[in-house]
Amino acid sequence: MKRSRVPLIVTMAMLVFFYLPIMILVINSFNASRFGSTWGGWSLRWYLRLLHEREIWYALKNSLVIAFSASFLSIVLGTTAAFALHRFASRLQKAHYAVIFAPLVMPEILMGIGLLLFFVALGVKLGLFTIFLAHVTFCISYVAMVVLGRLQDFDFSLIEAAQDLGANWWTATWRVLVPLLMPGIVAGGLLAFTLSIDDFVITFFVAGPGSTTLPIRIYSMIKHGSPPLINALSTLLLVVTFAAVWFSQRLLEVRK
Amino acid sequence: MADQEFLEFEDVSKYFGRIHAVDHVSFSVRKGEFFSLLGPSGCGKTTLLRILAGFERPDTGRVLLDGRDITALPPHQRKVNTIFQNYALFPHLTVRENIAFGLLIEKRPKKEIEKEVERMLALIQMEDQAEKYPDKISGGQKQRVAIARALIKKPQVLLLDEPLAALDLKLRQRMLMELDLIHDEVGITFLYVTHDQGEAMSLSDRIAVMNHGVIEQMGTPAEIYEAPRSSFVAAFIGDTNFFEGLVAEVVGDEYSRLAIDGFPPVLCFNDKHISLGNPVYLSIRPEKFHISREKPETGNKHNVVPGKVEDVIYQGLMTRYWVRVEGYRISVVQQHSRFLLDEKPIRWDEEVWISWHADDGYMLERYSESDEKLMSLPPENIGEMNGEGNGAA
Amino acid sequence: MKDRRRFLELLATAPSALWLAVFFLVPTVVVFAIAFKPTSPYGGVDAGWTLETLASLGNPNYPSILWRTFWLSILTTVISIIIATPVGYFLARVRKRWRQFLLLLIIVPFWTSFLIRIFAWKVLLHPDGFIKEGLVFLHLVDGGTSLLYNAWAVLLVMIYSYLPFAILPIYAAAERFDFQLIEAARDLGARQWQSFYRIFLPGIRRGLLTAVLMVFIPALGSYLIPDLVGGPDSEMLGNKIAQRVFMDRNLPHASALSALLTLAVLLPMTAVLFLPGRKGRPDLMTGEEK
Repeated sequence: MKRSRVPLIVTMAMLVFFYLPIMILVINSFNASRFGSTWGGWSLRWYLRLLHEREIWYALKNSLVIAFSASFLSIVLGTTAAFALHRFASRLQKAHYAVIFAPLVMPEILMGIGLLLFFVALGVKLGLFTIFLAHVTFCISYVAMVVLGRLQDFDFSLIEAAQDLGANWWTATWRVLVPLLMPGIVAGGLLAFTLSIDDFVITFFVAGPGSTTLPIRIYSMIKHGSPPLINALSTLLLVVTFAAVWFSQRLLEVRK
Repeated sequence: MADQEFLEFEDVSKYFGRIHAVDHVSFSVRKGEFFSLLGPSGCGKTTLLRILAGFERPDTGRVLLDGRDITALPPHQRKVNTIFQNYALFPHLTVRENIAFGLLIEKRPKKEIEKEVERMLALIQMEDQAEKYPDKISGGQKQRVAIARALIKKPQVLLLDEPLAALDLKLRQRMLMELDLIHDEVGITFLYVTHDQGEAMSLSDRIAVMNHGVIEQMGTPAEIYEAPRSSFVAAFIGDTNFFEGLVAEVVGDEYSRLAIDGFPPVLCFNDKHISLGNPVYLSIRPEKFHISREKPETGNKHNVVPGKVEDVIYQGLMTRYWVRVEGYRISVVQQHSRFLLDEKPIRWDEEVWISWHADDGYMLERYSESDEKLMSLPPENIGEMNGEGNGAA
Repeated sequence: MKDRRRFLELLATAPSALWLAVFFLVPTVVVFAIAFKPTSPYGGVDAGWTLETLASLGNPNYPSILWRTFWLSILTTVISIIIATPVGYFLARVRKRWRQFLLLLIIVPFWTSFLIRIFAWKVLLHPDGFIKEGLVFLHLVDGGTSLLYNAWAVLLVMIYSYLPFAILPIYAAAERFDFQLIEAARDLGARQWQSFYRIFLPGIRRGLLTAVLMVFIPALGSYLIPDLVGGPDSEMLGNKIAQRVFMDRNLPHASALSALLTLAVLLPMTAVLFLPGRKGRPDLMTGEEK
């Protein structure tokens, strides 16, 4: 059967479309010239400059602290949520599912302003802690969805087999369910981590003066010049993200 | 008599909403027996198995194992182990670790576990595969590992839930023999659940044939085959011909003559002592008939009727004939015990005589027309495929 | 026994449900509440309640912004779906090995920083950038026009950003589609385009619907894109809200606008959740539908 070439062409064109700006960015980060339009030869000067930008390191530190703590907490909350959603099929879970699903489609700006007004109304001081709270909030849904997906693929006759062989419910969970679910949990955690590191809009709304994360720093750099530094920084971030995605894909495909 | 009731199901029922998956079932299994629950899907056999394993709680009745009431015990406390249909081997553990799992849970000393695992690996002949993961071994091997994993715990009963269903034909035949050998060697009571009558007949000491949540008949394979109590059992196991008639005459102590539409009076063994004038349903298996061109010389215990061959299906070992006798289309099977090419085989449209011994027909206790659909005999015409037609075999 | 089960269910549901109730549901309600509060002259929220803030929604500038927001989101959605459908079709048909790799390529941008991707376009579309120069060279545009800071740039970058959200659900539905149906259609005489249109598209309609919602709703709330690559003529609702918060320091007005946006978003969202027979949603990691 003669197959149409159209899907292939569209896909390839789309991939080019996807990666063109990223490629330009990466290439320009090695551009010795200050202006993207002229090529000044290969250079690492912008990366070296980055090393000296103290504010960037400060922002990075904040981002990492928040990302680690937020992903940890959202793993715990998201995994329990996934268990509840999978194990029980009641009206409560339908509502639970709605609440978990909503943040995934909700525009970030609405979540951002909601949290801002919430904190203002309560008189909570905006800072790293409020950023942490906000990040956990949107990460839970992602972790829950990933783990839920793994649970739905999970063969529960394995749990019955464990019980049949003498394991009680607790032992069966820790010796069989958790080890097999672990790749999914870690993958969910990785997703939460990258989302937290990359988040701008919600963070911007709840950050308050004085607390910067890396994306906020990048934003002000974009607004106020110095593109080459941004190129270099972005490239580094891209590498980290790429590694995280690749790693978690590996985790998820091995034990399907 | 204690041996008789090693495993007892007492008035066990299980309902799922309005469905009676298991309906007041009572039976017992002897120690060391190979016992099968045989029936079509939905008959309740798997539910009974799961009740015994502890994954379902019966709504009525109780289960006794070696005198002890285990009905309320959770699965991990029962001395009963299951071979699951898809084997349920732990993918994150090696073959060795899978087998050792049950003993690890019991917190047995390490030395003992190692010894037992080696013993099991030798039994299933997989010593050189011990470090492999389940995704790297074949279906037959997975099943052996599942068996070893269960047997190592020395259960009082081993439950097998359609263990051969996932295997292809040749492998299935081999594993059938292996299961038989293992049972003989190990001596544990086996409770086997299947829809395949071939498996049940070849492996079991006794079979319980189930339908719609109840046991229709229980007995040895031969008892079930030769003396089916209901049309369901007669039709589900093998094939048969059903006849409907009235008791026209009682002959001596054990025989009756039946009036069947279109037949001369049929002599039949009447162990059920059905009296004059009552309706009777007769089951005669195809291999009990003899077919010939000439009218056979037979004793007074034989029935002989003329008919016409409507269809011939040659199957090497035997030939199956469809013979029309008045309103009945009778299935006759003849094994070729002599060199066939020396004879002149009976062909389509020929006038023939079929005969059978009065002892070879069996009177049914219960008959239901819908059971005829269970047989693997092809219908007469396209219309019959939808359940129309005269229903007679 | 039943009570124990109920207790376990509550125990497992409580942590996430409570957290989200406090930090997601309550803030949403707060947004609506503050829309009824007056603005303090010092910036922020004043005491008491008023309807004046709501009245501010009558601002004559707003309708055009609303219209533009709606219109850009629709365009983005339609174009994204048009591109995503053949891509999803292609992905569902290629061999397993290629598929993993291609999915990875598509998912990576989805994971990388939104900010960086938009910035990359800012660079690309820059007046001194090579795209502009190339187009001038080809005489498609003259030297004076700017590729940046207008509605077209916003549309382009929106499509760029939201395309993966369209591809994943469509791919998920296509992966479950029985392609023998297309062979059957061809066997019965349908031409390529006909079988695509009459058999394939209806077959993946659930995926198409999910894709529409997963693009349209976030698109309505776009803020960063018009902020970085848009100009004064391409302001969207998101910008206006941000402007009220950070520049005008007028939280109640921002609140009112946000309430409006929330309402606009709630409608399609409830449709997603309560559509009969729907339980499939794309696996965020692999794109498969659950």
